[in-house]
Amino acid sequence: MKSKLKLTLLASVVAVTTAAQAEVNIVSWGGAYTASQQKAYQDTYKDPGSINFINYNGGLGEVRTQVESGNVTWDIVDVLPHEARVGCDEGLFEELDRSAFKPAPDGTSMDDDIMVEVPNDCVVPQIFWSYVPFYEEGTFKGEQPTTIADFFNVKKFPGKRGIHTWPNALIEMALAADGVAIKDIYKVMSTEEGIDRAFKMLDKIKDHAVFWSSGAKPLELVKSGEVAMSIAYNGRIGAAVLSEGEKFVTVWDGQVLEEEWLVLMKGAPNREAAMDFLIHASTPESQAEQAKYINYGPMRSSAFEIMQQGEPWFHNGKTIMEHMPNRPEVMKRSIVANPEWWADYGDSIGERYTAWMGQ
Amino acid sequence: MASNAPAINDGPLLTADGIPLKVSLEKSLRQSRRRAFFLVAPPLAFLVFVFVIPIGNMLTRSIDDNLVNEVMPRTFEAFEAWDKSSEPDESMYAAIYQDLKDAEKVEIGKVSVRMNYAKPGWRSLIKRTARKIKRMEPPYKEAFLEADDRWADREFWLSLGVMKDRYTMGYYLNAVDRTYDFDKNVIHVDEKRKVYNLLWWRTILVSFIVTIACLILAYPVSYLLATLPMRISNLLMICVLMPFWTSLLVRIVAWMIMLQQNGVVNDTLVASGILDDENRLAMMYNFNGTIIVMTQILLPFMILPIYSVMKTIPPSYMKAAQNLGATPTLAFIRVYMPQTIPGVGAGCILVFIVAIGYYITPELVGGKDGRLIGNMVAYHMQRSLNWGLAAAMGTILLVLILILYWVYDKIVGIDNMKMG
Repeated sequence: MKSKLKLTLLASVVAVTTAAQAEVNIVSWGGAYTASQQKAYQDTYKDPGSINFINYNGGLGEVRTQVESGNVTWDIVDVLPHEARVGCDEGLFEELDRSAFKPAPDGTSMDDDIMVEVPNDCVVPQIFWSYVPFYEEGTFKGEQPTTIADFFNVKKFPGKRGIHTWPNALIEMALAADGVAIKDIYKVMSTEEGIDRAFKMLDKIKDHAVFWSSGAKPLELVKSGEVAMSIAYNGRIGAAVLSEGEKFVTVWDGQVLEEEWLVLMKGAPNREAAMDFLIHASTPESQAEQAKYINYGPMRSSAFEIMQQGEPWFHNGKTIMEHMPNRPEVMKRSIVANPEWWADYGDSIGERYTAWMGQ
Repeated sequence: MASNAPAINDGPLLTADGIPLKVSLEKSLRQSRRRAFFLVAPPLAFLVFVFVIPIGNMLTRSIDDNLVNEVMPRTFEAFEAWDKSSEPDESMYAAIYQDLKDAEKVEIGKVSVRMNYAKPGWRSLIKRTARKIKRMEPPYKEAFLEADDRWADREFWLSLGVMKDRYTMGYYLNAVDRTYDFDKNVIHVDEKRKVYNLLWWRTILVSFIVTIACLILAYPVSYLLATLPMRISNLLMICVLMPFWTSLLVRIVAWMIMLQQNGVVNDTLVASGILDDENRLAMMYNFNGTIIVMTQILLPFMILPIYSVMKTIPPSYMKAAQNLGATPTLAFIRVYMPQTIPGVGAGCILVFIVAIGYYITPELVGGKDGRLIGNMVAYHMQRSLNWGLAAAMGTILLVLILILYWVYDKIVGIDNMKMG
């Protein structure tokens, strides 16, 4: 069956592929995020012309299709924590020689320089990003929302709420809002009662919920007044504030921190060049450089230090530290997502969440 | 033939070069048949590659459960020998040890994902154990329990029963909110996790409403297009076709701007005092939004076939009916409308079939209760990577459409359908 599929796909894409492809194709999420990667990694690379960015919408569907059909056109993919694990398990990504990567200035190896445990040998550090609530200045009279519990409290802070169409982060946030200590959240989530508890909390905003599925949407929703508050990706909010002068206020409480990794496709057409680019993109200097253009946190501690010393670090002369999702002050009230948990239970929670949305 | 032609001799008829006529005829027939085949070969190959093979592949994926059986044969053998009520014994642990030890890393990854569908938790359990497998020594039971204490949970062992056959109906059951219990009896899934049946009914309902709405809107428009003077009808036709040529996304976003809470329509209604500011209509990001936008997008698929049929109906029929004493209304209903049935049928079936698999519009404007089964297929293809389930849902959709086609053929007759 696999060979049949291979034939089909070969036939259908034969026109698109050319044998001699000198460019390294990098697949990322587009928008301000890809722009920051282009400025920080591509423009500083020794041969910028050899790098080509492509947009995608996430998920491993296309990756798996390419690898299974044996017709790989992508080289590097920018993936979420869950995908980084499943893809490596399934053999969709190459396992990389860890010693090839540049250590921190003090000699710490790259893997030890990364602020979280490295899940496997496929991944190359990219950024931390987070799901975080925000609103526009002037939405609420008097007291302003400051905690994740306020997000779930439509009596105290009336108005609609923007939330995404999948359960990741929302379960964690609901439990944090319900008073579960940050360190116990995944323990509580591993029980049926814990999940019930989270859904009971979500019920409180259900009739006021507007659902979004693409990253630009929550900003439109808040800007247009469609919702009073919304969950969004922290970098989107930061980009609007830092670059476009929007008056958005981020509630730095109960945010859910997620990893973002770069991976090399199994059977990548330009393996050597791609590996060279990955080494370049993962140096502390490149990582810090990216934060000049977007407020996603670098994964390497040494990159963080470069930024702190270089403030004001943002490219237009503004300070960046107070927009970083993984700065020490907010880490105490942040939930670091557990992708292993989601890899196990994501499907069944996803079904329940979809059912909940539709009821 | 023999009776017409005078017989020259008793032998078979020969052609000029002495070959029997029958043979020669067959040869030339065969040649023309071969030529015909070569002529249709490119489209045929195209059909096979883009239609037959992918659909065959999809059908296979929806029932295929080979992988887990190939990678873990000893485990399933040991499972069959187990009485299901006692604690799993050393022989079972030894079997799973052997299987994990012999399997390639990638196979283990794929198998653990498959097993996680049967019971959440399998994935990390297998992975964590597989990482430690090289250092394990007998007795394996203790070694496994030390690697991960979840091995003591009999539910994991019992769930093997769901995967032991090489072919499974499990994906189809999941697609209609049912599942296997550990003894392979079909049961309903937990009330809180029921998703798909609701979505199936909603998808059919939305397709039905959209089809009816399109028909109601398209019929008068088509009538105008077909009966107005050429100069005006051409202009009207452009009005119908312009949106049809406009990018789908542009049209969807335009509707968002029109219909959202603070959109053009709501603002106008509030400004004119018809609505209070508090009671703005919710027309977007819900069921209504999906219906409105899909109707607009699919409207041309209804207008064009009806129009092309109406265009062929001579106006004299209506005049004749009125001459014979029918009122204009009666003439329209009894004479004109029956003649438009082939176009109406084609339009309805076209709109319904397109609507039933729709996914981009519901994704963008559906919000919480306007999402359809197509969104779940996309989700399982792209996000959860549960291609088996996606394939099962795709197959059910295909069967639904074939049934619809069959019903249409029985009631209206497929020969009557006219696309233009």
